[in-house]
Amino acid sequence: MTPWRARLNGRDVELADVPAEERLLDTVRWRLEARGTKEGCRTGDCGACTMWVGGRSVLSCLVLSRDVEGEEITTIEGFAPTELGQRIQEAFEEAGAVQCGYCTPGFVMALGSLLKEQAGKPLSDEEICRELSGNLCRCTGYFGLLRAARRLFGGEASSPSDLSTFSVAERGG
Amino acid sequence: MRRPDARAKAQGALVYAADLQVRGMLWGAFRTSPHAHAAIRSMDVQPALEVPGVVAVLTARDVREMIPSRPEGEALPLLADQEVTYAGQPVAAVAAEDPAAARAGAEAIRVQWEPRPAFVEIEREFPEWPDSERMRGDPRVVGHVRACRGDFEKACREADVVHSEVYRTSLVAHVALEPHGCLANVRGDDWYVRTTTQTPFGVRDDLADKLHLPASQIRVEGTWVGGGFGGRNEAILEPYALLLSRKTGRPVRIQLSFREEFLWDRTTLPAVFRMDSAVRGGQLTARRTRLLLDTGGSLPGRDFALGYSLGFTLGPYRVPVWELEGYALRTHRPPFGPHRAPLAPQCAFASESHIDSLARRLGEDPTEFRLRHVWREGDETPFGQRVPPFAAEEGLRRARDYIRSRRPNLPPGHGLGIAIGFWSTGTSMGGEARVRLGPEGARIIQGEREIGNGTVVAGLLRVASEALGLPVEALRVDYLDTSQAPFDSGVFGSRTAATLGYAVRKACDAIREELGRRLSPPSGPHPLAARLRWDSGRVLVEDGGDWIPLAKVLRPEEIAAGGLERWGKHYGRPSEEIDPSWVLEGSLSGYSDVVASVHVAEVSVDPQTGAVRPRHYLAIQDAGRVLDPDLYRGQVEGGVVMGLGTALTEEGLIGEDGRWQNPGLLDYRIPTMGEVPPIEIVALQGHTGSGVFGSKGIGEPPIIPVPAAIANAVADATGQRVREIPLTPERVARALGLLGRDGGEARP
Repeated sequence: MTPWRARLNGRDVELADVPAEERLLDTVRWRLEARGTKEGCRTGDCGACTMWVGGRSVLSCLVLSRDVEGEEITTIEGFAPTELGQRIQEAFEEAGAVQCGYCTPGFVMALGSLLKEQAGKPLSDEEICRELSGNLCRCTGYFGLLRAARRLFGGEASSPSDLSTFSVAERGG
Repeated sequence: MRRPDARAKAQGALVYAADLQVRGMLWGAFRTSPHAHAAIRSMDVQPALEVPGVVAVLTARDVREMIPSRPEGEALPLLADQEVTYAGQPVAAVAAEDPAAARAGAEAIRVQWEPRPAFVEIEREFPEWPDSERMRGDPRVVGHVRACRGDFEKACREADVVHSEVYRTSLVAHVALEPHGCLANVRGDDWYVRTTTQTPFGVRDDLADKLHLPASQIRVEGTWVGGGFGGRNEAILEPYALLLSRKTGRPVRIQLSFREEFLWDRTTLPAVFRMDSAVRGGQLTARRTRLLLDTGGSLPGRDFALGYSLGFTLGPYRVPVWELEGYALRTHRPPFGPHRAPLAPQCAFASESHIDSLARRLGEDPTEFRLRHVWREGDETPFGQRVPPFAAEEGLRRARDYIRSRRPNLPPGHGLGIAIGFWSTGTSMGGEARVRLGPEGARIIQGEREIGNGTVVAGLLRVASEALGLPVEALRVDYLDTSQAPFDSGVFGSRTAATLGYAVRKACDAIREELGRRLSPPSGPHPLAARLRWDSGRVLVEDGGDWIPLAKVLRPEEIAAGGLERWGKHYGRPSEEIDPSWVLEGSLSGYSDVVASVHVAEVSVDPQTGAVRPRHYLAIQDAGRVLDPDLYRGQVEGGVVMGLGTALTEEGLIGEDGRWQNPGLLDYRIPTMGEVPPIEIVALQGHTGSGVFGSKGIGEPPIIPVPAAIANAVADATGQRVREIPLTPERVARALGLLGRDGGEARP
């Protein structure tokens, strides 16, 4: 078997024995031991395993490793420390977008590639939802994620008030 | 507050059970039954042992040999070798060098099955309410509750209107994004397992029971958990991983696939509610609920939901006469288990749809009808208790104001539906915590793990911050395994912040009291709890108007141990007793801490397809006291959306053969980002709860009224009532007369 070569988060990697049927998700998590990318459904429905190949989002559970030989692969470990990666983390933390966190790296990667594609152009709520609806979250009801995405796309001026409002009222008030 | 774990999670830096790997570990896989009910004629494991990479196979015989003291004849054995009673039941577990070899080994096992008739659809067997003579001695009845107060039949004879309806609910799965997984390593008497659980102590005790071991030999350590929702309260995979590790002498890792996660899920199963209400002179005079509950391949005690859920079907309304009866039925489905407010969304769907439909039949506004009957503080509940502080009435008034302002502007085809979610949280389940205050800050030492809601990683910090008077930056949470940690019941039942938080508060109070004693003059007045402050990374304590470093007040041995440590314990308000003369069969739970969720849904209904779209959602929550607005809000947002899934799309389909038909995300549809409506949340404070600082639980309550609110909104929009959830387009279209009997288009 010919060795498998690629670049992972800017570093050359080479593996001796990657079988034809192996998925990129498994190669990265178990052979390259980068387990920040989470394994969810393995059927392309949940988005938890989102990473980038050649800068574009892929569902790594549906990609055969042999099909991406020689490509630049970016995972959450590579993206998180970048300036954009940190801005997304800040927005997630601030907006309450993280609960159990299992879907979170996938959302960060999906949102990161969307932000890069848009290159500063704003997106409407509908467009954000359409683009991110391949990523599932069971904890947050998506509101925190939408608050974070709005902030990142629309800047501080965009008000999330009509999306979800929260108030504390006193008895009899 | 900003959660301390948010960034690390967004960086993919935290370790979940699904990420666990240690040198030399084996992978486990299962051979499971393809039949809902079958005898096992023979099983040959030799072919599995011949698969390259397979190290060991575990069968029922191994379990008996490894744990000879384990009692035989249980309802649901760890591994079956005589009979299987649900599709997916394990008959053998295989350990191998890699996951593929383990799976190949499991498939290579030769089993000869002899299929037997399966009991899967409760209504096929019991299309009408069964008479008690027929049910007596039926082995499928694993629980029976019958209770009444007053004479229901008499009340019906004297009534102006008797309103009778049947409601049906479906299987809903947990669908946490992380499937179950664990890593076991047995060394001598140390049965150690790292696992994804909501209750390390619960798993320890369940393992002690299932493996017949002393709890002191079992050590459970949690990991970061990818979502709980009630699905991680039981030792599901852990017994097999431990036994395989014992047998092979190596660490063993088991990881379910997402498909297997559906098949192994112990969750809410179908139920049929028969609801009857009698009204005289506009007043509710009597109510009756008769419930058939599928409890699947029941484990002992799986009828637990019956005894407490029947009470919730009465709703928080004054009613002098009531009758409650329910049967828990053992079927050939996977076992029933808890799912975020177990069975409460289903009870509320039946009860709150029924109340709505009754009010409309009487020609009264459904909100006004509720307001005339809802409990007020100090009223007597149907179970004879005094109603503690409870926000339902005030919530209804606020909801009425909202509906009045919205109604005139409602677009055509839209409807508004109101529903009350009524719940009694598990705050009575106790907890203990240690708090250690050192010169540089405090540690909360406890045994739970963070499952996602933020209670453990952040909520306990908020409580300790308030109790000690120190900022959260001065505090941290330590996580210990069950051999070292103080006991706690688990992260479930909306109890953790309220009750474990209370234990944390008591430990903090004890520390401040001890410091107060040390600083007050011996002959002076009764010492006050010391006041604390945090300044430039140091803890200061007030001493006669001056602020001195805590280190000066601590004893040398305390400094050496990291600080002054105190232990807090809290066991909250237990459920109230019900007059035993009212309970004729089985047991019925009273209420403990009652919590109300008053919700108003606005939906539109497509007149061609029956598709329901939520347009706006108002959630008024009975908060007692909000401990942290951000964490609180997250629970309401997430709970409402999970409830929208229960209401509209989520339905686990199990065929007549007992097999799952849609065990995957494509066919079992949970809400996606584009499907959530704008939501308005009001946390109503001041109806004080028994939790720490007057709080009430919030993990479960927001999901409870959602299916009923949606169904009532559909009825408001269309004039037609759908009496089964989820409200799929097909069911709505049928109610609207768009479909014929065969499912085809209705003829004109």
